[in-house]
Amino acid sequence: MWVYEKRLQFPVNIKETNAKLAQAIMSQYGGPDGEMGASMRYLSQRYAMKDKHVQATLTDIGTEELAHLEIVAAIIHQLTRDLSIEEIKASGFDKYYIDHTIGIWPQAAGGVPFNACEFQSKGDPITDLFEDMAAEQKARSTYDNILRLCRDYPDVYEPIKFLRAREIVHFQRFGESLEIVKDNLDKKDFYAFNPGFDTAAPCIDKDGCGCKK
Amino acid sequence: MNKMNKKQLLCFINEVSFALDDLALFLNTHPTCKQALVSYENYKGMRKQAIKDYNQLYGPLNKYQVNDSNYFDWVNKPWPWEKECDC
Repeated sequence: MWVYEKRLQFPVNIKETNAKLAQAIMSQYGGPDGEMGASMRYLSQRYAMKDKHVQATLTDIGTEELAHLEIVAAIIHQLTRDLSIEEIKASGFDKYYIDHTIGIWPQAAGGVPFNACEFQSKGDPITDLFEDMAAEQKARSTYDNILRLCRDYPDVYEPIKFLRAREIVHFQRFGESLEIVKDNLDKKDFYAFNPGFDTAAPCIDKDGCGCKK
Repeated sequence: MNKMNKKQLLCFINEVSFALDDLALFLNTHPTCKQALVSYENYKGMRKQAIKDYNQLYGPLNKYQVNDSNYFDWVNKPWPWEKECDC
């Protein structure tokens, strides 16, 4: 269950429109390393995660990503809300405008629509946590790229800087989660035993080594 | 009663809520850290009072804070992505 609070996690107050910047930042809404993929990834992975600390981490970070999705949408909305048709034509925003006017729709900066294949929920806690750590780094790189484009726009720069910093914190928390999961596994069987599916580590010797697993 | 104006009070709510968001993530993987637990308790109290003040002065922030008399405010007051919100 979620409860909506009528505020943004970090305020967004953009005074000038900029369709070109909006089209780049859109990637963090529905692009390959965007907030839509992030929130769906963590919230979907919770069910195969057996450790209670990591279930809490996935729930809370997944929830925070929904708040980030809203921040990114607010940035795009405020960068495009007062656009004139001349600005739309001149900025290259016309291709997006044809299908969505100035509504918000999940796509990458290059126009590729959001696709669930941009994230994985493998049902294996170790596999999933490695994916989560990589995802946080990929999103951080994307925010770095965006920051290079919006240096001269402080209204945009500040919320993007906040979102970038959160990727680093989340990476740290997922790293700790991975350590917690590993600490509770048979150290000989990190990769042979899926704690999300197997009840005991199987013997990897097909003829049996006498361990009776 | 709170001496902050609407914008300042919402900004304060955002700040203490963020402190709680970040502390909660830390506590998920360090659930016995005394220092973080004390800090969490401290910010929780600050947020509770600030939300109470905001509800009384400016209306609900979530739908559970809506009273019969201010239901209309929930739909009528600006949403956080709008220019009119100024938050």
